[in-house]
Amino acid sequence: MSEVQRKRSPWIKRVLIAGVVLIIAGAVAVYFIFTEKFTDTSKREAAFTVNAMDFIREFQKSDSMANKKYAEQIITVRGRVSETEAADTTINIKMIDTATSAYIIFAFQQQHLTEAKQLKEGDSVSIKGSCSGGTYSDILETEFVTFKRCAITK
Amino acid sequence: MKKSILFLALVSVMGTSVAQKKKTTTSATISFDATTKLDALPKGENKTVVASLDTKKGTIAFESVVKSFSFSNPKMQEHFNGAMWMDSDKFPKATFKGTITNLADVKFATDGTYKANVSGDLTIHGVTKPVTTTATVVVSGKTVTTTSDFSIALADYGVNGPAIGAGKVATDPKITVVAEFK
Repeated sequence: MSEVQRKRSPWIKRVLIAGVVLIIAGAVAVYFIFTEKFTDTSKREAAFTVNAMDFIREFQKSDSMANKKYAEQIITVRGRVSETEAADTTINIKMIDTATSAYIIFAFQQQHLTEAKQLKEGDSVSIKGSCSGGTYSDILETEFVTFKRCAITK
Repeated sequence: MKKSILFLALVSVMGTSVAQKKKTTTSATISFDATTKLDALPKGENKTVVASLDTKKGTIAFESVVKSFSFSNPKMQEHFNGAMWMDSDKFPKATFKGTITNLADVKFATDGTYKANVSGDLTIHGVTKPVTTTATVVVSGKTVTTTSDFSIALADYGVNGPAIGAGKVATDPKITVVAEFK
């Protein structure tokens, strides 16, 4: 081995080690990102706490503005259960503005379904969930706001 | 005067009768499975789909907010809604409007299980395409439950993200639609 090659070899070794470390770190990061699960919503902090009827009216006034503010945020909604509705093997809870038929609908996380199934029409409740946003239904001809991964906070 | 009252009563009865033929739900479920051998994550479910069924005319419609699809993995949900896939900020809803083409074979007034042929227009990602599929219709008293399984080619709807090309997302995901009308 020449004198020049002897001097270069420690650098090559360091570059190779750094490369291997980077690859391992990248693989670990990718592993964590793609095996991560959504946490229990009941343990997450709400960005907003709102009254159901005020919340519906905000969407009716301008759903584009309300979507910018609330979509994909964790929100606690306080209100009365207007209806429970079977959703395949699970159940959804609705809060309806009887004057306009506009409504909020909550789909629950698996671990909170048992509590949701206990709710009855007229019950006063606080529900925390991920707001998917609101839009106008061409089928029902009214505004509706949907939530996913909900939990009851009472 | 008597004729007018009779006419109004008749119109009122007819109106009630027609209204009863149209059933709606706000809790229909759409699930899709785009998993591949390389990736088991791209599957999600929306349990807050609006749907209607007119048992007299045989019309059926669905309306799904794209952001309502729930995934187990946060990054997958982000990708699903992103510009490279469903672009849900630009195209917030997916819809279907169709008709049962063999309406005479589906006895909505008699308990039983029936096979319905459904044709209509499916709009996803701002692109509308004709779709023909079959559905199982279960009639039990006043409750009608419809279930349909079919596949769509994402490329037909302009969904061509790099994950699809890389084989991490199925090119033709399986869609399952369940709606219980009361």
